[in-house]
Amino acid sequence: MSGLSPIEPVLLARRGKPDSASIQTYLADGGYTSWKKVLGGAKSGEWTPAKVTDLVKASGLRGRGGAGFPCGMKWTFVPSKEKRGDKPVYLLCNADESEPGTFKDRLLMETDPHQVLEGMMLASFALDVKHAYLYIRGEMVHATEVLNKAVAEAYAKGFLGKDVLGSGLDLDITIHRGAGAYICGEETALIESLEGKRGHPRIKPPFPAVWGVWGCPTVVNNVETLCCVKHILDRGANWFKSIGRNEKNTGPKLYCVSGHVEKPGVYEAPIGVPWETLLAMAGGVKGGRKLKAVIPGGASAPILTAKEIENLPMDFDGVAAAKSMLGSAAIIVMDETTDIPKAVTNIAKFFAHESCGQCTPCREGTPWLHKMLKRIVNGEGKKTDLDLLLQIAGQMGNGMTICVFADAAIAPVLSGVTKFREEFEAYIAKSNHPNFALAAPEDVTNKVAERTAAGIH
Amino acid sequence: MARVTVDGKVVEVPNDANALEACRAAGVDVPHFCYHPRLSIVGQCRMCMVEVEGVPKIQASCTVPVRDGMVIKASTEKALAARNATMEFLLINHPLDCPICDQAGECKLQDNAVGAGLPVSRTSEPRRQFPGYDRTPIGPHVIADMTRCIQCTRCIRFCAEITETGELAFVERAGHTFVWTHEGRALDNDLSACTADVCPVGALTTKEFRFRKRVWWLDKTRSVCDGCEIGCNMSIEHRDRVVYRFLPRVQAGVNDFWMCDYGRFRSEDLNRQDFTVPEIRVASSDARKQTNWGEALDAVKVAVDRARNEGENIASKGRVLVLGSARLTTEENWLLKALFEDSLKVGTPEFVVDEGPKRRIRNKVDGWIYGTEAAANSRGAEAAGLKHTREGDASALSLLLSKKSSSSSSSSSSSSSSIPAVLYIADAAFTERANDPNFVSALRQASVLIVHARVKNALTDAADIVLPAAPLSGKEGTFVNVKGRVQRVDMAIVSAPIVRTDLEILLHLGGRWGVFDTQWTARDVFEKMQASVAGYADLDWDSDAVVGNPPSISPAAAYDVLGLDRNPDVEVFPRPSVAAPDRRS
Repeated sequence: MSGLSPIEPVLLARRGKPDSASIQTYLADGGYTSWKKVLGGAKSGEWTPAKVTDLVKASGLRGRGGAGFPCGMKWTFVPSKEKRGDKPVYLLCNADESEPGTFKDRLLMETDPHQVLEGMMLASFALDVKHAYLYIRGEMVHATEVLNKAVAEAYAKGFLGKDVLGSGLDLDITIHRGAGAYICGEETALIESLEGKRGHPRIKPPFPAVWGVWGCPTVVNNVETLCCVKHILDRGANWFKSIGRNEKNTGPKLYCVSGHVEKPGVYEAPIGVPWETLLAMAGGVKGGRKLKAVIPGGASAPILTAKEIENLPMDFDGVAAAKSMLGSAAIIVMDETTDIPKAVTNIAKFFAHESCGQCTPCREGTPWLHKMLKRIVNGEGKKTDLDLLLQIAGQMGNGMTICVFADAAIAPVLSGVTKFREEFEAYIAKSNHPNFALAAPEDVTNKVAERTAAGIH
Repeated sequence: MARVTVDGKVVEVPNDANALEACRAAGVDVPHFCYHPRLSIVGQCRMCMVEVEGVPKIQASCTVPVRDGMVIKASTEKALAARNATMEFLLINHPLDCPICDQAGECKLQDNAVGAGLPVSRTSEPRRQFPGYDRTPIGPHVIADMTRCIQCTRCIRFCAEITETGELAFVERAGHTFVWTHEGRALDNDLSACTADVCPVGALTTKEFRFRKRVWWLDKTRSVCDGCEIGCNMSIEHRDRVVYRFLPRVQAGVNDFWMCDYGRFRSEDLNRQDFTVPEIRVASSDARKQTNWGEALDAVKVAVDRARNEGENIASKGRVLVLGSARLTTEENWLLKALFEDSLKVGTPEFVVDEGPKRRIRNKVDGWIYGTEAAANSRGAEAAGLKHTREGDASALSLLLSKKSSSSSSSSSSSSSSIPAVLYIADAAFTERANDPNFVSALRQASVLIVHARVKNALTDAADIVLPAAPLSGKEGTFVNVKGRVQRVDMAIVSAPIVRTDLEILLHLGGRWGVFDTQWTARDVFEKMQASVAGYADLDWDSDAVVGNPPSISPAAAYDVLGLDRNPDVEVFPRPSVAAPDRRS
């Protein structure tokens, strides 16, 4: 059996069931069995944190938040008890799902909150966590209410609190609602925000596993990742590994398909499923029109043309091979009617609005890109603008900033202008900008070289 | 220590240094804005970009801790291009209003634009503005102009980490980010003007200096603040005999990079000179007439000599009381003692010190240090041999003050014997009470009242002889601060014609008895008194410890003179290449 053959829904198994968010239905469906199993075996030594971690490692689970970092390996970065001393370890569930095009975590939290909580409990056991936090995006009011109710239910049933189920272990879970900043989805900004500060990403290293919330070792995991942990504990690492394209891309994956498709929504499929299969699941391109471009991983992923995405395996390595990224698997489909310059401008506006304002290149560069793009689509573009756009975008990313926000912000601009340049040029050809006839921009890189050679710097 | 290679040059730096500091230690200038040696590292201006061998991405050098064997390439094409990029981003929204900006001339943005910027501008978009947040006072001393701000957060970190008052914060987000006070609060702490110092651009400027002088016209002279006994090192910034401002001069063991608002804004007071000519009371008259130095000093000598002679013959009215001051330099106080006690044998000069409001300054060595006196040099005056008269002490001054009420009626010898014939006050502003009529009338019991004075007060009104004396900016000498540190004050400006420093007045007065050579300088006095003054014996007038650091070229760049100052106990300051002028020649 191929790992890519269609699967019964795992993460979304309980979607659509009546009252799926309540603990009664969750328990009736076999929920919290892993939590009871692990806690029951904790005293006898049958279940140890290391065993859970090894299981997750063996499953090959990669973080579902965007970067695709191996989850088990991340857990092992937490310093051992001897090294960290009295410092507690914190688990932080990243539910600040704000990437444009992504809506999988919200679905998980709203329809099946106990699945998320059980994942958090099991991860907490593996990491020796006494207090876990779930940082939820400010706009998700309903999901917050559902989660708060679920946490209260879990406390009432004794799955949380002091001496959980007589195991001698304590565990608390706090739901923390953010204030709606995109950047707080970045793990260090999320930590700062949880601490009550402005959501500014931190300088790394040190990484959160060593220096996280309040200076203590912290593991930040995505909602979907933690849900996967629950199912790995339920059904074993081998089952998890049997799903997916290859050894490095395993397990079921939620894909958020939006844009010009017949049935936009969240679809669960083995990770690495070919693009065409996914498109078929979503009912194909809307109105039977021709596909033009796809953003495979949310607004921060480079745009792929219809040709580039043909037969592409939709997993971390597959999409990366096409020089884009799977990210949070937010697949935005654009058909032939799409105006790419306007779409890129829209994305640029989002990033110009959401930059945290910390690093110069991002704070100043994102509005600059947006202003130029806006000018172009408003019919005031200059011939020099496209090259300048590429140059400006080119000097924002790749280490120029503390976090990767700037790299995310330039990806759609760089890919859009490069791959659909003729559409931008068409706008500029119709431009009525007074400086329309300006020559190409001065080649600044040569100037730099000249000045360097002359010893001016 | 870690051995780090910067552009091929190997330097040893402490293990807790960062790559930017290693570059500076190696003499490689890496431009930067947000880095400050006394503030936390945020790495957000992205100006100090360098390449580090083995790290694929370009790095902000201030965020990279050094490790042994690290190879930093600070001047590669990639690093320079990255700095070009950051400068370009900073300038697209900067108003470029240098012609009306007070920071021009000491602006890091200007410096780095020349050193690391592009020769062309590529933007044609409208520049960002902050209506309502420009040219606005945000506290008693600081005016904020957010259109100029480059969001380096030095001011925010200063208020959070140094004063720990946290008035400032980032407001808004992304390209609209700006620095402002928290809602309903003012930037009002005792060091608030230091935020204008750390501001690398003209976003924060001080109200007092705003639009007063282009900074490149200012001459800078090393001095020490005389507002309290902490003795913050500062530079007097002046031009054409006018003092425009004080700036802190870096001194790791005293004021570090900071200076309190009280001390800083005393600068304007130095421009006041109420007495420019000696004045002497016309016999049997209420008025004083202006005179020349010869006549005035002769009159002083006559009065003192008469009192001394009478003192030998007649029991009453036979004494000279000399008051020094904690506001005078140690040299001046020592001259008082050498003249009146050692040579003329009329008793030990005394001084009193006012309790002032508690001042404080913070440095890395001691944390907060406090000053509680309203004068700079009580320790120096005491070391010079003057008697520190405190309340309740039995002293000539206390007796004089206690006799105030009975003096007019009493004629008993015991009472009048405590009233000196001559009261010589070397500093008319030696106490706040010099404006108190009761206090002055007590002093006025002396037959002859002689004062050195710069500023008019009740005491000068009552005096018989007023000798015009120069302010701090016009004198040389040393102060002893609260930590016992001897610190030199240099002469910034020559005072108005025929105004003399207290030192010159005393030398010329002593010259009349043949005690002093009138050609002595403060340095000569310093060297003469070394034998007798505690704490001065091993000091050298020109030593770094006494002189302190040179004034900085620009306040924001102040620490550039520091080198890699990780351990303030070790003198690592490079001496300025230009020797200090020898004032004796």
